[in-house]
Formats: sequence, structure tokens, C-alpha cells
Amino acid sequence: MAVFSQAQPLIQRRAARRREFVGVWVTVREAFWLAVDALSTHKLRSFLTLLGLVISTFTLILVMSVVNGMNLYIATHIANLGANVFIVHQFQWAQGDEEWLKARRRNQPIRMDDYEFLKENVHDYKMIGADSWMHNPPDIRYNGHNIQDTSMNGVTPSMINVGQAEVESGRFISESDYVHSSLVCFIGQDLVNEFFPTVDPIGKEITVGGQPFLVVGVAKKIGTTLGQSQDNFLQIPLTTFAKVFVARPQLAVSVQAWNGTQMPELEDEVRSLMRARRHTPYKESDTFGINAADTIMSAWNQLTGQIFFGTIAVVAIFMLVGGIVIMNIMLASVTERTHEIGIRKSLGARRRDILTQFVVESVVMAALGGLLGLILAASISKIVDTLWWPSTVPTSAVVVGLGLSSIVGLFFGIYPANKASRLDPIEALRTEN
Amino acid sequence: MAVGARGRLAVRSKLPRGLCSKTPPGKDYKTPMGSQVAPTMNETYAPAEGVMIRTDNLWKTYEMGAIQVNALCGVSFQINRGEYVAIMGPSGSGKSTLMNLIGCLDTPTRGQYWLNGRLVSELSDDELAYIRNKEIGFVFQTFNLLARATALHNVELPLIYNGTPALDRKEKAEDALRKVDLADRMHHKPNELSGGQRQRVAVARALVNSPSIILADEPTGNLDTATGDEIMSLFDRLQQAGNTIVLVTHEHDIAARAHRIIHVRDGKVFQDERVK
Repeated sequence: MAVFSQAQPLIQRRAARRREFVGVWVTVREAFWLAVDALSTHKLRSFLTLLGLVISTFTLILVMSVVNGMNLYIATHIANLGANVFIVHQFQWAQGDEEWLKARRRNQPIRMDDYEFLKENVHDYKMIGADSWMHNPPDIRYNGHNIQDTSMNGVTPSMINVGQAEVESGRFISESDYVHSSLVCFIGQDLVNEFFPTVDPIGKEITVGGQPFLVVGVAKKIGTTLGQSQDNFLQIPLTTFAKVFVARPQLAVSVQAWNGTQMPELEDEVRSLMRARRHTPYKESDTFGINAADTIMSAWNQLTGQIFFGTIAVVAIFMLVGGIVIMNIMLASVTERTHEIGIRKSLGARRRDILTQFVVESVVMAALGGLLGLILAASISKIVDTLWWPSTVPTSAVVVGLGLSSIVGLFFGIYPANKASRLDPIEALRTEN
Repeated sequence: MAVGARGRLAVRSKLPRGLCSKTPPGKDYKTPMGSQVAPTMNETYAPAEGVMIRTDNLWKTYEMGAIQVNALCGVSFQINRGEYVAIMGPSGSGKSTLMNLIGCLDTPTRGQYWLNGRLVSELSDDELAYIRNKEIGFVFQTFNLLARATALHNVELPLIYNGTPALDRKEKAEDALRKVDLADRMHHKPNELSGGQRQRVAVARALVNSPSIILADEPTGNLDTATGDEIMSLFDRLQQAGNTIVLVTHEHDIAARAHRIIHVRDGKVFQDERVK
């Protein structure tokens, strides 16, 4: 006979560990199906509950998608200066309005002699070229037709290596055209469509500002971005441009380095040459701008960063509201299901089982809200993409959207779930439903 | 408020009917063995083999506002393995409280309760949940089935809470339903079943974990006589198969089917008779 006996060790350790392991999985899975069941029983209620989260996830993902699309656009179209190319211009492109105005007032434009100087004095580059453009392009006609909004550039022959234009047929502006200021032009696809829909444009003459220009080459189609055709252009030799249209054109000088490592050296060399040429004192800042893809991108990112901050503030408020609504509905659900909780407890559900059940329910609900928001945002993004702006849903947006809404569900589900798990089994059983 | 009014009334006159006047032993009583040892008893040995339930001097005191009400005043009895016992008593006698204690839904204020060789009267909530899951099969008057779940899923519930893997679970639950002749109604929801069938689902649920005792609280209370009989025959069969059954009822003809009747009155065992 035992002396003062203790209660036996209630649960054997190993069995307990196994029970924990399998048990957690089993209860989580049970809780998941319970949640799905609960949601499908109260479809309208669940939908209304989730609206806050749907809207916030939608907003977040849509903004991320549009910004992402814009980023891609900027990277491929605007900041795409060509590999290892930087551009020397009157001022730095991407900067604040005030600085820009100041730079415009103070800095001398880059002129032909600056270009010649750089071409002569920079000692090692892959390519150097220059182009100029007109803000109000002259009238362009062919055979009684004319075309609007065409951008006209004066270029050096080397400029074919920079930017997006590629030769489809014929040739680009040649060295000889440049030297002799020939009346020749290289045109984009829009002009081909407008003037030469059925005939070969090479060798035809179009009239630009009253002067006849011989078409020597046609560019490959580039396409539209931001709703604007990128094929509506006409390029002529820079020398011709200066002779016929603008006496002293302002230039943008493009310099191409051999590779990425040479690029900063080359930038430094160009900078010191330009400063020396303009006698810029030691402590003064540059009186010109050196623009590379990364400076444009960083300025753009700064802008999108501000958009993001605004969005995050709005989304945070929506999420908070959505979370509170979920908490409210979960509290109601706990009250509604008190009897059920009593039954479960009488059958051996522990506090943590009940806790899991309700937390999983609220997380599943919130994640579903996130998913709805995601689907909505993805479809709207698709529509936006085809109709207006470039927009693609980035993977990070999916992760952030779903993750964030799940976290909201978890956070706001804990209190009601804890309340449910603390119910006294007898009291709960006695409650009629 | 009702409780307060009742309390004041009780202080002025005598205690309400069904509540004993004796107070439990002092709260600050300490023993060398700590709280596991009942303060008033020198009998603190584990029960012998074959004893399924032993209660030693169980007290349950409810705080009702300022005053204390004793629902149980030192209940002691012993139930052996395989016994078929009915606990009888009028309403307010403390039999529900006793059932809650036996069912490990509640813990006693004083005293010890041994279930299948384990001292369960002083366990934590989670440990009690484990005991409820493994050792006790409940059958309630109101069936207490989950309305949205099928019969099969209702029977699976206790298995879910001890982490039985899905396949195993289905097999065991189907077995249990077969035992109560409901194999063909497995996928019906409670509202598609008759009262008797619902109670049989509840019995299957009680059986599924092979518990030490089956604890039935007025199992025929919501059923007509014929269906009630059907359920009682089911209990007879289970008892013959070696299950320990404890039945709480206030109906004499139901209690008469048991082998032993424990009468509870005013929070005490009033009479303990063997009828078969």
C-alpha cells in the first residue's frame, strides 16, 4: 500500500510531446475549416466585415503596382540613356524647382564649341555626340499632308548609339551629312504611316519649315508610353539644324564610357575639363549638369517615396479600422458561440485549442480580405496598364498585402479569442444559443 | 438583485432549501503535504485497483455576493470499474454540482476526487481538459451536438482535441457510430436526425475515446418514453460490454435500470442502495 501518494505524473512526457506536435497541426487544420465554414455561413456579414481590409489592401497593392510600373517605365524609357552614357547639359535634370530655376538663370547653355572642346580634349571615350531640339517644331509636310507634335532633333552621326532609335531601313545621319550640313532626315514610324503608308519613304523629300529634306533612313517602331507615341520624330544633322533653324543651338552632349568602371572617371574628367573651360572657381558649384541614369532614378525614387508615405498613412488608417471591425465581429461571434465553446471544452478542448480556433478564424478572415483586395487591385492594375499608365503588380506587394492583412487579423483576433478561451465550461454549456 | 436579496434573506432566517448549514473546514488550514491532502481527513491514500471513482469529503462552496453557499457538504463515495450507478436527487440537491465535479468541468472547494487512480481534484484547467477528453464521455440531456457539423464530425471532435490524425479519426468515429447503429446516418446533420438518433450520436461521441466512465446527465430528459427506453437499452449494452456508467437523473424508472442508486439530498449522500 502506498504511503502518502502523490498524483501520478499526469501526462507522460513523450506522449505529451507527440500530442503537442500532431495536436497543434490537427487543431489548426480543424480551426481553418471551421473558419471557412463560419465565413460561408455568414457571407454578407463577413464581406461587410472585410470591406476595410479589402479597401486597404487594394489601395496598397494598386499604388505599389502603379509606382512599380512607373519605375519600370522610367528605368526603361526615361533613364535609358544607353549603356554607360551620361549627358552634359546646362543643368542637372532631376532636382527641385527652385534649384532648377537658379541653375537655368546662372548657367551658360552648352554650345557647339563646348561640344567640340570636349570631343578634342577628353582623352578616352567610346563615343561622344550631341543633340539639340526645338520647342516649337516647324511645319512638316509631304504631298499636302502634314503632321502635328513631331519632335525635331539636330544630331551628330554618333547619336545612333544613344537612346532608343534603331535603323530599320536606309541609314542614319552620316559623317558626310554632318560635315556638309546636308538637307537629309531620319524619320520615325509615325511619319512613315502618315506620309508613306504604301510607298518606300527612302529617297522621298519632305518639307520641314519650307526646306526640302531627303529621307535617308527610317527608325524601328518604339511604341507608346504614357499614352504618347515615341515614334513621332524627325532627326537631321546638327550642323543643318544650326544653319537652317536655330543659329546657336543649345546642346545636350552625350558621352559614352567603355564600361561601368570607367564611367565615374570619365564623368570626373569631363567635369574638370568643363570647370577649367568655364573658369569656375574652386569653391563654386558646377555651372553645368552631368546627368546619368542613376541620378534620374534617384530623383524619381525620391518622388515615389513621398507617394508611398502618403499611401502608407492612408492604408494604416484603413487597416486599423478594418482590424477593429474584425475584432468587433469576432467578439460577437464569441458571444454567439458560447454554447459551442462549452461543448468543445466539455469534450476536452484546452484553452489554447479554443484560442487557436478563434485566432485562426480571424486570421483566415483577414487574409481573405487581403486576397480579395489583391485580386481587385490586380484586375484594376491590368485595366490601368492597358488603358493609361504602365502598372504591374510586384511580388513584394502581394507578400506585403497578404502579410499585413493577416497580421491585422492576428492582432485584432487575439483579444476575442482569449476571451473565448477563458470561458468557464459550465457557464458556457449552460448558455442557450 | 436577485442573488443579493436571496443572500440577505438567508442571513436573517435560515439558509435556503437544499443548502446545508455546516461550514467547510477553515481556509487557512495547512498540512505537511501541501494542498493535495484534504484538511479534515486522515484517509489520503490512493484508492485500490478496480476503483474507478472515489470522492473523499467533497465540498463545493459558491460565493453569492457576500455570503457563501454550500452546494456540496462533504460527499464521499466510491464507484468500481464496470459499475452502473444512478445518482438521484431532487432539483437543488447538489446533484448537478456533483456531476460537474465528477465530469471534471469544475474543481471542488475542499476534498479529494480520484478518477481511475489519478487525483484530479486539484488539477489545472488544461489538465482537466485532458481528463475530460481521455477519461470521461459526456452524454447530456440536450445532446449538445454542434448543429453545423455532421454526425461523423461531431463524433470526431474529442479525437481532434487529442490530436488523432485524420484517417485514424475517421475510422474510430465510424466504429463508434456503428456501435450505436447509426452507420447509415453518418453524414447527416443533427437537425436531420430524430431526438433518439441525436442522443445516439452523443453516446457515440462519448464512447469514441474509450473513456474510463460514461457520464450521462438526464440522458432521456428530452426524449419520449419509447426513445428513452431505446437509449437506456443502449446504456445496458454498453455496461455489459464493460463500461462504467454514471447516470444523473431524477426519474425513478430510469434510475431503476442502474445497479446501484446514490441518493443525494441537501448536498450530502442521503442513501446509497444496491438495486441489482
